Amino acid sequence: MRRRYIGALALVAALTVSAMTAAVGSSSPDRQNATKIVIWLQNDAESNWSSVVAATNQSFKARHSDVEVDVQYQTWGDHLTKFDAALAGGNAPDVIELGNTETTRYMAARLLQDITTQRGSFPNSRTWLGALKDSCTYRGRLYCVPYYAGARAVIYRKDQYKAAGIRSTPKSLAQFRAAGLKLMKKYGKQRNYSALYFPGRYVWASMSFVYDYGGKIAVLRNGRWQGTLNSPQAIQGLTALKATVGPLSRANKTGDEANPQQALVFAKGRVGSFIGNGWEWPYALDKKDGNPALAPKMGAYPMPSHIKGKFMPTFLGGSDLAVPITSRNKSLAYDWIRTFTNNTQMRQLATVGKVIPNTTSLASLHARNPQLAPFANAAKASWFIPTAPNWVQVENARVLQNMLQSIFTGRSSVQAAAKRASDQITTILNRRT
Amino acid sequence: MSSGPGGETGFPALTAAAAEAAVARRRRRVSRQGVTRGLAPYALIAPSVVVIGAVLGYPLYLLGRLSFQQFGLAELILQQGPWIGLDNYTRLVHDRQFWEVVLRTFVFTFVNVGLTMVLGTLIALLLTKLGTAMRLVLTTGLILVWATPVVVAVNIFRWMVDFEFGVLNWTLTELHLGDFLNKDWFADPLTGFAVITALVVWGAIPFVTITLYAGFSQVPDELVEAASIDGANAWRVFRDVTFPLVKPIFVILISLSIIWDFQVFNQIWLIRDGEPEEDYWLMSVYSFVEAFRLGEYGFGAAIAVVMVGIMFVATFVYIRQMIRIGETR
Repeated sequence: MRRRYIGALALVAALTVSAMTAAVGSSSPDRQNATKIVIWLQNDAESNWSSVVAATNQSFKARHSDVEVDVQYQTWGDHLTKFDAALAGGNAPDVIELGNTETTRYMAARLLQDITTQRGSFPNSRTWLGALKDSCTYRGRLYCVPYYAGARAVIYRKDQYKAAGIRSTPKSLAQFRAAGLKLMKKYGKQRNYSALYFPGRYVWASMSFVYDYGGKIAVLRNGRWQGTLNSPQAIQGLTALKATVGPLSRANKTGDEANPQQALVFAKGRVGSFIGNGWEWPYALDKKDGNPALAPKMGAYPMPSHIKGKFMPTFLGGSDLAVPITSRNKSLAYDWIRTFTNNTQMRQLATVGKVIPNTTSLASLHARNPQLAPFANAAKASWFIPTAPNWVQVENARVLQNMLQSIFTGRSSVQAAAKRASDQITTILNRRT
Repeated sequence: MSSGPGGETGFPALTAAAAEAAVARRRRRVSRQGVTRGLAPYALIAPSVVVIGAVLGYPLYLLGRLSFQQFGLAELILQQGPWIGLDNYTRLVHDRQFWEVVLRTFVFTFVNVGLTMVLGTLIALLLTKLGTAMRLVLTTGLILVWATPVVVAVNIFRWMVDFEFGVLNWTLTELHLGDFLNKDWFADPLTGFAVITALVVWGAIPFVTITLYAGFSQVPDELVEAASIDGANAWRVFRDVTFPLVKPIFVILISLSIIWDFQVFNQIWLIRDGEPEEDYWLMSVYSFVEAFRLGEYGFGAAIAVVMVGIMFVATFVYIRQMIRIGETR
């Protein structure tokens, strides 16, 4: 009984946290001679390139022996909720990794430090990836440093393809579907086998179908955002998506690609292919959680478009590193970012982490590596989310996830689900914040 | 001080305590002077008032104030929001989704409270009929359920209904009740809510059962015996003898259950992995999503204020009943 009272109070209390801090938090003590900087990185770094982080800290400490570096790993699901609360509470980190779809809101709210004048002091700032640089730029000012980018491609089992009689990798969506059906025929009797493992709430791979058919999530018309997922092109894309995933995937329709990690499901053996980031390949081979024996049997190719010979546009995801305006150790924070993004670390990040480094000057690293080239190729055709200040709220409200789930579970028709999502997007993007 | 004649129901201890208190009061009245007499009760209640005011009153005041403000991310950092009067509430009234959520919350509460009370009563009656050994086993089981933290319970239920490896799908299939392999219980909100309801009711039954059992055991055996001799069956005895005697307990339990089930949040939030679909939104979830996911703190606060208002009505019934018990004894 007491337990449940506490639950009730917690909600009321949680809702008033912000107001409470409004009342008590305004006088923040000025901590001079701070000897600690707090870094928030996403857990991808922890599981895939923790050696790069360690090397960065070591090199940083060599120059600042009196400074303690506290790297705290966050998850994509709730890091913004935590960040907002931390900003309000005055204990935000000194450096935060933000997804390139998440930056606009914080730039628009002027919560990230403007680093336009220091730009030249960051490594490779002349050759930063255009897409990432754009996600750090708001009204001509620079607010963050590109970190890395990722593109998705089909990661598949060469041995299964061969055994099912698929001679070459598919060159069109129709061929991709046919190949999948062959796999299902060969292996489908195994419970839980998926020719294409594709969870119902997998937004980033799903929206590629929309963009492949010429659809868009939202457009800006006369200063007003308009959700366009119910346009004929987008509907066509979503219909093709359902027709592809339906017969080929037995993945959870109400789950997403990260719970469980799709690369690890792939490692268990009952998956013919999945659409994943470059770093998910080595993750599937992880000694502890994955299956190293799969190494010689794995391959990757860009997801083919419905137009033969073309690639389906891939979402150009990525991350940036920003310094919140509340940081009291900005120059140390900049220096840590400089160390983390210098050539040595970027080279490591690209080869160990299998991601696209933040600079075009290192592009050759990928072209020569068979494990990286498919992803770099896929990145040549890409799409990006609408760059509205409120976009991240569409993500936070899980609008697209809910739409996809409704479509895949058959709870509503493609049209109805797309219309609903589109209306929600229109409302959210035009909200005054 | 043994249980009195039929008219004096239940709680002999309470009656005795009240009598003693009355005697004490009278004695005090004779011996003390007017001013002290007037202030003493206030001095005694002051600590509780201060504590309640600090931990409940002040946050509630802030919540109410927040609900009249435009409060988004920018205001969060500036730590002040402009006053916009009733705008958040006007938006709420015109928000179709809000009414869907309110209706869903009411239905959810009704079903959960109903099931909790019916099952809780049945198990409490069972307890009165059991021998000592079995009663001990059942009571221990109930206490264990009660002691299980929500997070643990949710994880256990999640595994049981897992679409791929869950024991529920396996069992149903083995029993030849149909092909339940890979059945996703959360794909349809109706079956999804069935799971959530099972979880909530399961967790709520122990308190209801144990309290009712305590009430039932206070019903004088002579009354039940007399009714049976007069030819009443078990149902008649329950309806006309047991129930009227423990009615106050029922009223309290029902209003407490309403208060609890109306604000269910943890179970839904956790079982849907921190991103419940709109079909699963109850008022608490809606308020949280608006405030903390969408950064609409003012609007989220307005939803919470409406929730608190509805809850006050339920609490009112509860408190009135408590006072009435105090008066009649």
